[in-house]
Parts: sequence; C-alpha cells; structure tokens
Amino acid sequence: MSKHRVAVDVGGTFTDVFVFNEETKETFVGKTSSTPSNPENGVIHSVEATNIRGEDISILSHGTTVGTNALIERKLPKTALITTKGFRDVPEIRRGTKLDLWDAYKDVAPPYIKRRDRFEIDERIDYAGHVLKPVDEREVRKLAKKLKKRGVESIAVCLINAYVNGKNESVVKQILQEELPNVYVSASSEILPEIFEHERMSTTIINTVLGPTVGNYIQLLENKVEDMGYDGDLLVLHSGGGVMTSETVPRYASRIASSGIAAGAIASKHIAELCGFKNAIGLDMGGTSADISLMYEGNLRITTDWYIEYGYPIGFPSIEIMTIGAGGGSLAWVDEGGSLRNGPQSAGAEPGPACYGAGGLGPTNTDANFILGRLNETLLDGKMKLDREAALKSLQPICEQFGYDEYEAAHAVLQVAHANMSDALRLISVRRGYDPRDFALVAFGGAGALHSAYLAKEMDIPHVIIPANPGVGGALGCLLVDFRHDITQTFVANIKDVDVKEVEEKYINMEREAIALLEKEGIAHEHMHLIRHLEMRYGGQWRSLAITVDRPLRSLDDAIEKFHEEHKRAYAFSDPHKEVEIYGLRIEAIGTVPKPQFPKADRHGSVEKALKNYREVYFEEAGGFTRTPIYNRSDLPVDAEIRGPAIVEQLDATVVIPPEFIATVDEYKNMILSLADRRDTDGKSI
Amino acid sequence: MEKVFESKLDPVTFEVLKNSFINLVDQMSEQILRTCYSFVIYNRDFSSALCDAEGNTVMQGTQDIAVHVGTLHLTAKAVIEDFQDDIHPGDVFLVNDPYRGGTHFNDVRVIRPVFYEGRLIAFMQSNGHWSDMGGSVPGSFDVGAKDIYGEGVRIPPVRVWSKGEYLADTVNLLVSNMRVPEERLGDLRAQAEATKVAEEELMRLVRKYGIDTVLTAFEESQDYVERLTRARLKELPNGTFETVDYLDMDPERGDGLIPINVKMTIDDDKILYDLDGTHSTISCFLNASYGASLSGLYAGTKTFFPDIPLNSGFYRVIEAHLPEDTVVNAKWPAPVAGFCSGAYEKIMNACFELWSYVMPERALACSFNLEYLLIGGWDRRSHYDNFFMWYDWMAGGHGGRVDRDGANTMSPVFGAGLSVQPCEGQERLTPVITSKHEIITDSGGPGEYRGGCGVEKGGLLTNISDTVMSVCCDRSRSVTWGIYGGLPSIPHGNWLNPGTEKEQFLGAFFSNVKVKEGDTFTRPSAGGGGLGDPLKRSPEAVLEDVIDEYVSIERAKKDYGVVIKEIDADIDHYEIDEQKTVETREYIRRNRKKWLQTDIAEVQRLYDEGIIDRLDVLRQYGAIMDDATNKVLKTSTEQFRESLLKRSVAHWDS
Repeated sequence: MSKHRVAVDVGGTFTDVFVFNEETKETFVGKTSSTPSNPENGVIHSVEATNIRGEDISILSHGTTVGTNALIERKLPKTALITTKGFRDVPEIRRGTKLDLWDAYKDVAPPYIKRRDRFEIDERIDYAGHVLKPVDEREVRKLAKKLKKRGVESIAVCLINAYVNGKNESVVKQILQEELPNVYVSASSEILPEIFEHERMSTTIINTVLGPTVGNYIQLLENKVEDMGYDGDLLVLHSGGGVMTSETVPRYASRIASSGIAAGAIASKHIAELCGFKNAIGLDMGGTSADISLMYEGNLRITTDWYIEYGYPIGFPSIEIMTIGAGGGSLAWVDEGGSLRNGPQSAGAEPGPACYGAGGLGPTNTDANFILGRLNETLLDGKMKLDREAALKSLQPICEQFGYDEYEAAHAVLQVAHANMSDALRLISVRRGYDPRDFALVAFGGAGALHSAYLAKEMDIPHVIIPANPGVGGALGCLLVDFRHDITQTFVANIKDVDVKEVEEKYINMEREAIALLEKEGIAHEHMHLIRHLEMRYGGQWRSLAITVDRPLRSLDDAIEKFHEEHKRAYAFSDPHKEVEIYGLRIEAIGTVPKPQFPKADRHGSVEKALKNYREVYFEEAGGFTRTPIYNRSDLPVDAEIRGPAIVEQLDATVVIPPEFIATVDEYKNMILSLADRRDTDGKSI
Repeated sequence: MEKVFESKLDPVTFEVLKNSFINLVDQMSEQILRTCYSFVIYNRDFSSALCDAEGNTVMQGTQDIAVHVGTLHLTAKAVIEDFQDDIHPGDVFLVNDPYRGGTHFNDVRVIRPVFYEGRLIAFMQSNGHWSDMGGSVPGSFDVGAKDIYGEGVRIPPVRVWSKGEYLADTVNLLVSNMRVPEERLGDLRAQAEATKVAEEELMRLVRKYGIDTVLTAFEESQDYVERLTRARLKELPNGTFETVDYLDMDPERGDGLIPINVKMTIDDDKILYDLDGTHSTISCFLNASYGASLSGLYAGTKTFFPDIPLNSGFYRVIEAHLPEDTVVNAKWPAPVAGFCSGAYEKIMNACFELWSYVMPERALACSFNLEYLLIGGWDRRSHYDNFFMWYDWMAGGHGGRVDRDGANTMSPVFGAGLSVQPCEGQERLTPVITSKHEIITDSGGPGEYRGGCGVEKGGLLTNISDTVMSVCCDRSRSVTWGIYGGLPSIPHGNWLNPGTEKEQFLGAFFSNVKVKEGDTFTRPSAGGGGLGDPLKRSPEAVLEDVIDEYVSIERAKKDYGVVIKEIDADIDHYEIDEQKTVETREYIRRNRKKWLQTDIAEVQRLYDEGIIDRLDVLRQYGAIMDDATNKVLKTSTEQFRESLLKRSVAHWDS
C-alpha cells in the first residue's frame, strides 16, 4: 500500500482533512465534526474517515484550536508567576490601553494569572546586563515550598531586563526544577529574549499556561495515532506558518495559541505560486468572519504585534492575519441614523441566515446572495433547501427604509458588504504601501468565491484565483508547511558604531540554537535554510522595519540601502541623510519538507457537459435579472473558458463570475477570474 | 422606523463614502504611529481629521485621544481665517495656538489643504504631541510659568510649505527654539507625509465617485451624526443637572479648592452646558483655553454615546457657555500647558457624573487624574554623555460602575488609548532605574462597586548631573470622588526620597526641583472613586479583594465593615466573620455621618495622636490634608465635605 500525507485542520465546528497519496499523486478531502470536549478524538475520527491505516501515513500534520479555546475559556492549569520585586502587576497594568476607547463598559479581559498567584523575589539586573542583586537561593526555595503547598502546576519566570542577561532566571529555574520536579517551568530569556517587560512577560505567561494544556493534548493525540499504527512525528502547525514536532510544542506552546489561522494564509501562498503569482492577497471567508493575509515577493507578511485577547500580546513572529466580521452570516441592518450597515454582527451557525429556515431573522449576505439567484435553492448536493419566503421577508425593513424592492435591497446589502471587505483589503495592502494592481486575490472559504470578483474589481486587483477545494484551505495549508523556528534578540545600536563582526557573531550564535532545534526534529542539514532579518529604524524613530540581510554578513551598507528603500515603499518617504539604528536581530530557520507534487488534471470533458442548467441571476451591471448558465465545477475540464455572467457550483462553494469577467480552469483545476478587457491586454500570468 | 435621516445619495454610496472617510483618517494615524519621532506621539497622543473646505470636521480618527476631540475644526478654521484666498495647492500649515483652538503648545497640528481642479475642497489635519516646545523646562511643562511665555513656542497659523516648496527658514526659526530640534523636524516630516497619503486617498474617492458626490457626502456625514445624536437625545427626559468639581488650588493663594461649575440641560434634542460660576483664571498652568474646555465637554458627552462617530455633526448638538477669564476659558497670556491635568479632566469627570444621573445604566464615578513626570538633565553613565528626558505618565484606577467595579490600572480618561511605557525601554534610554510598578492596596475608592486600583511607580536616579524634575497632575486635595454613595480613593502627589530622613512631599504639580545622583522618588496614581454605599458591598467580593490584596484586612473592616480572619495566607485561606461584620457595619452606619461633621481641629488631634490614619482622615472624616505639613486644610475640607454630602451621604439609607 502506498504512503499518504495526511493534514488535519481542526476548526470550531468542522475538522477538515486533506490527503495526498505520494505514489498516485491523488488527493482527497473530507470534513467531519469537531469534538471540542475531547479534541484529540475529532482528529482521530477525521483520519479514520479517510480509511487510511496509520502505517500507511508518512507525515501527519495538524492545526488545532486547543490553545485558543483554553485561553478564551480560561481552562488553564494552576499557574504562578515569579518576577522581580516591585513588578508582579505588570501583566495587569499592561500598557494601560483598551480596544474600545470610548465605551467605559467594555473591559480588557482579566489577566491569565490572578494577582494572588503572582510572586516576587528580590533580585535585579540593569539595562546593560549587570547583576545589581543576585538571586537569594533561600528565598526561592522558600517560595517553591509555598508554591508546592498551593498545588501549582506551571510556573512562569520573567525577571526585569532578563532579555540582556538570563542568568538570574536560570538560577531560579534550576532551583524550581529541583524543588518541584513535576512542574512545568518557562523562563522568558529562554523563549523570547526581547526588550519590554509586558510583552515578554505576556508571551512567557501564555507559554506557561498553555504548556501543560497543549502538552497533555499532544500526548493524548500521539498515543492515539500510535495506536493507529502511525510511527512518524506528529507535526503541529504554529502561528509563524511552520510546523514543529510534538516534542518541541511544550517549549513554544504560545506559538500554537493560534495554530490553525496561519494555515489558510499558507494555502493561499501555495496556490498563488502554483498559478505563477509572487504577490497575493488571501481571503478566507466563512460564515461569520473573513481572514485576510498578504504575500509579497513570495513572503507572507509577518507581525510580532498579535494576541488572542486584546492586552495580552504574543511576541513570537506570526503570519499577519486581519480578521473582520464579514461572512455569509453577517447581518445587514439600518442604524438609528438611517444608514445601511452590514456586520460585524452575525447570525452565526445558529440560527443562521433567514433562508436556512431555523428562525434567523436576517437579512444576511447569504440571504441576499440567494435572493439574487447567486446561490442555488438547494445546497450541499440537495441536502439543504433554502427558504425563499423567509429570505424575502428578512429584507423588508431595508425595502421600507429606502423604498427598494427586495432585489434592490439585496443588491444594496451586498454592495455594502463588498465595500467593508474592500476597506479591509485596502488596510492590509494600500495602507502598507502595496499596490493591489500587482496582486492576485486567492478566495477560500464557503463564501469567498461569491464575492471575490467584485472585490477584485473594486480594488483593481487583476486576477482572482479560486482553488479547486476552497472549503478546506486550512487543511491544505497544514499539508504544505515546512518546519520553522524564529530566534530573535534585541540589539540596539547606532549602525555607525556597530562592528559588522559583532553582528555576524550574534547571528552565528542564534543560528546555532536554530540548527539544534531543527536537528532535534530530524531535519537534515541540506534541508535547513537560515534567513537573517535585521530590524532597523531611523535614529529617534520608535517603530522598526525588518529587512533581510546576507549570510555571512560582510558589510552593513547594503542593509542601510535596503532599509531606505523599504521605508520609502512602506511610508512613501525615506530620509537617506538620517542616521540609522539597528533594533533587533532575527533568524528565520526553515527545515524544508519535500512538497507534494499535485497531479495535473487531464483534459477530458467539455464545458458543455459541465453546464447543468440556466437560472435567472441578478447582475446590476447587466441590467438586472439575467439568464445565466450554471456549471458543475467538477465537470469543468482543464483549459475551460467561461465568460460571465455565469455561476459555477461545487459541494461547499459557489463561484460567481460577473458579466465583465472571464474564468479559465488551469491544469490543477484552479479557476482564474480576470476582467475581460484586462485579460486581453496583459494575459493570464504575471 | 421613523426616518431620522435621508441621504441625497443612494444609501450604498453614502455608507461606502462615510466608511471611506473613517478609513482614510485612520490611515493617516497609522502612518504617524509608524514614522513619528516623539515618543509621546508613538504612545498615541495624537489625532487626525478630515475637514471640509469650511474647516468643519467631516471625520475624526477612531483611535484619537479624547483630549483633542472637537478641537481640530477650530484650528482648520484659524488657518482659513488668517490666510483666506492665499491658500494654494502644495501648501502646508502649522498651528499650536491654544487661543486659536489649540490645546497646549505641545499639540502641533499640521494642516494640508486639498484642491480639486483649482478649487479648495478639504483640509487634512494631523495633530501630534511634540515632546518639547522649548520654554523654561524640558518637556515644556513649567508650573512656575505665570504666562505662556515660559511654556515654549506659540505658533499661530504659519505656512511651512508654499506651493510644494519647503520653507526651511520658517521651520528653522520654530524648531531652533525647541530642545532636540532634529526630532521635531522628524515629527513634522512624518505628519506632513501622513496628510499627503490621506490627500491621495481622497483624490481616489473623487475620481471614483465624482467631486459632487464626495462633497455631498462630506456634508451628509455631518448631518447624519447630528441627526443620530438628536434622535438619541429625544429619547431622554428633559432636565437640568448640576455639579461642581475642583482643581486643587491656586499655588499663589494656598488653601482653597478652585471650583469648576458644570450645569447641563437636556432640552429636547440638544445639550446645553453652562459653566457659569467657575473660578477666575489661576496663577499656574492648570487653566484651559476655550477649545480645550469645549473638547472636555464633547469627550465627556461622547463617553455616554460610545458608538456615535465623531465629527462636527456631533459638536453641533452641544452648546456651551464658557465664561471668559476663568479656568475654563483662559485668555492670553494665561498659562495653559497643564490644562489636561487641570480643568480638562475636571470637566470630563463632571460630565461623567451628570450623565450618570441621566443614564444610570452607564454610570461612572470619578477616575484618577492624568499624571506625568518629567526628569530632564545630563546622562553621565559610561558611554553616555547627553541630555536626557525621562517623561512618564501613569496608569490608574477608573471609577466604579453601576453593576461592576471600576477598571484597574488603565490609561487616563483624557486618552484611553495612551499607552504607558515599559521600564526596560526607559532604563536603556535614561539613567533612571524603576524600583517598582505595582498596584496600590486600598487605592480603589470604596463602594458597593469599588473604584479600580491605582498604581505606584518608584525610581532611583543613577549617573546624572544638572537634572531637574517636574510633575503635571492634580487631585492631591480635590481627591478622586465616588458617586451614588461611594467614597473617594487616595490623593495624588509625589515624594522625593521616601522612607528616608530626606523624605519630602513635592505635591501633585511642581517644576524644576533639583535632583541628584542617588535620589529616589515615588508616585502613586489614584484609584477610581467608588459607586454605591460600601456597606452594601457583598462580603464575598471584599474577601476576594483581600485575597488579591486589592484591599487590606484592615481597610476591609474600616471601609466596608467586613471582618476577615486570616487562617493560612499561604493557600489563600481567609474567612469572613459574619457576626462581627454585621456589628461593624452597624457601628459604621451609626457613626459615619457624625464623623464627617467632626471639627477640623479635632480631626487634626486624632491624626496627630495616631488614633486615625491618613485614609481615615480622608474617607471617614472627609478631611483634606497637606501631605507636606501633615496639616488638615480648613477651606479645602469644607468644600470637599460639601461635595461628599451630595455625592455620597445623600445616597446612604443611614
């Protein structure tokens, strides 16, 4: 029996699985229900549903929401914080800010560790790393006994200025391990030696509260997959867009605080590259929200400014995902001032859109799409029938307010939805200095392909890619990832005072650490790729920009040049006469895994055979309801070309091809939508 | 639904453009945040606006600091007034004049007119707090300045780019009068570029939707907000509400709180604020100019309508009478640099109190006062030899709420987005070591719902020379108060060399105090005031507070009448003594009104003899002390007790 790669992406409601047969190159996708109370079972069920035996699996990788759920629901082990005297309230003081500036009744979530569980020791290191006050061993032993008496299961150690010198932290950790051998201990200088006490402490705390939780989960899951006969490493996706082995997970638990969210971005990067695009915006739009990511020159945008709950940052580099409350279930409404709004409230899965007939009052985007004929009356291969009366009724308040008929109202609902989504796309592209005209839009999710052509038109994005299986983007992302670690270090200096040899040395030390991690994960040296990033800024500025630098580093002049260019690109100006400062170093360590070569589909079949029927679909640009061909996606052959207006249906997604668009099917069965006039001039690929 | 508003545009275009305006203004803010040089801006003391050709604000940023709300249209109008027909494409103007709609000198507005086919259609405005504007002390907050000339450079509307040409000489004249001029040039550049980015975005909208549609949407965005606000007001009963809040003192006069009277009338679909009776201008920088006070009224009101967007439509609903030559409408050349800690915060909190009676479901007791400390001098650490500024503001407690405690350790209400600084960053940049940054036990004002906790931040000065310290705060005497029966929190005020023989109380505002190597300092921020009678707080909630050391066992008994026994602190084992709690609460109920009438000399005696402590003086006896002399202040106490009678005693059953 041939070997298979299996990727499992666990979501809130469904668990998606993507299988690649290494011999036949065939792929297979599946969906099963998630089991939030015993999350490991959901993973096992989904693998069992593929009917592949454990011994026939070569790589099992997976994305999980276990960390996210544990944090949000505060289902955390009894955890203590040990910090420098005078600083135990740093996690509560935070930066003092809140997300909603004006609403005095909307609070920041409470800290993960209560004040009663935060302890101090009398020690101090200064800004330069000098030990002003060494650790008093007796004090720590006494505290350890108290923690034992309290039944603490996990301890975060984060001391002031430990990012320059981790000595006091290691002493504390050593003593704790002696006194409390079965307790999980995480020290800030070991996981993220970066400046700023709140951000580092928050990351350490999240690591500590999640360490035992995700550690237990991984252990349970590992036992179960072993029982199935799988003897390889269980790979877990982290927010940085790579995987790590289950063995590394407890050390970097905060990196899987949001494991699955990166998967969609990785999938959109892969699909875009497969179609020949280096720049792409990923849009993964489901029932309640849309996740947006951006790839530029083959690299997904990375952020170190992210969190699961506002106020509690996780400092590890993470793929930047912008989530907005725009999905199929987003509600349209008229506000008190008489303005037509859309979202962010959603009808959710229960009761769902009005047309689901489960009591939802709507109107949602799904209701509007249905009324305009874009969604079929029956979905999921006839398993679900939509309620037209309920959908029409849901639009009445909008009709009354603006004197519309139901179709005008539905059209207006979608226009507002498109404008909101375009605003979000603009935030992640134009606001960051990227020109959407250089990008492709990759549309995933059940709702992505319903809206993507209109968004592309609004944003001047020339091409839209609809992957063959838009509903399981996350699982595809899990299948495609490499091992990845990020080693970071704060290093602040005016670049003119910096000896390039000193920087080189620091990089080499960081690389040593990265290589050790990859070696432990069984990555051969020829598959290791180390990329050096340098954080820079103009002397006196407060934010830095990361640029990549050479390995080995011989001169800093190129870096300075690149920094000016990047500043100009991002902010529309640069200042070559100003002095430049180094702010931090980062090693991106990648252990590549040979990528599956997906099969190219053969060219049998014809567009005519894929034509199911015709339906009246509303397109304002075509003057209203228009007789529109409806195609079955799985029957569309490679190289098929369809001129809009047209609708293409598949099990879990519907593609809308508006009148001015042309869609083609590539050899991997991706559909590419382009504006007809644009396509004639610049061809399909960039 | 009754039609509140009908757009001349189709509803989709209107909604799309309204959101686009918000988007473009926020885009400006985001760019500033990423490119600025002043760390004060970086920590979010900034605001941005799109104004129409008349200078009215079409949209203000969603993340803007409260203290700038409703002032940006005034400075845009100041540019129009001064330059009239002499405004051209490629021009950029600066303004910081507090008497022309500005707030204080540090808030520098960069204003770029936008033209379409030769016609002026809009102004893009970026306002950021520059770290230094010159004047007699680093950071430009001099409590000793008797007029604005000690506060730095006043910039009336001034052109700094003319038809695209940078006017280096003019800018040079300005920044040459500031400390670290190259940083100021960096800020100017960052702000000017941000307004340009916004201009380009507006031009995109004009190309797409047409000039007439965009201009109609400018007007209608304001009309929409105005009508939305008026519709909300109509749902509320008409009525007049009145209160008075106080500044601590006029340093030249000594004992005596400085009243700010705020009377609010809801009249059908509009709000009238009348600040008649407010004290005349005082001799230090806590005064506010007209624009700044107006902003306090707008921001205080907006807190009760958190979902309504901010633009001139909102401002049109509010009428204000601000009597001239008072602390809420200071005239040239009265000093105003510290208005944000002074009159501004008092106006905002007075609004909170008045609206708490109109909308009890959103009630909010007084929050801690904006506090910032500036240390400026020479850094003499090895490898350093430069002028440094340690410029720090505190988080503190917010007021108790109708169904929950106040928020602990938040940024001040003057700017909820202002972010406190990490000490690790400060220690790198300056010779100041932070010795603590922690919650103060018992700092939250007692109430059925406790005020949020305040914070203490302490420091040690290492290798320094020629260094001075200044503080801009208030409420060491006009202590953060409770409502609906709640009690005050703790006084603000800074201490030099605490716990040593050289201990000295410096007060809540001072400047140019010389400090030297080895000196230590500490500063508490107040908690929020309590809401509701503390004797009604659930004993279980008090017990939880004791376990977390938000409240001490001692004050659990004195403030809440809840008697708690420690069984084993190591494992958080404490018990409520039910019987003693009933008795203690009864005892407090019987005596508390009497305590508040105790003769001031008697309070002084009880304190001097150690029978009552500092918090008893304040919370049980309602008396105000000068921490420098440990003397109870007669006039201030009388004024404070009068407020306590209205805000607290009147709401107690007994």
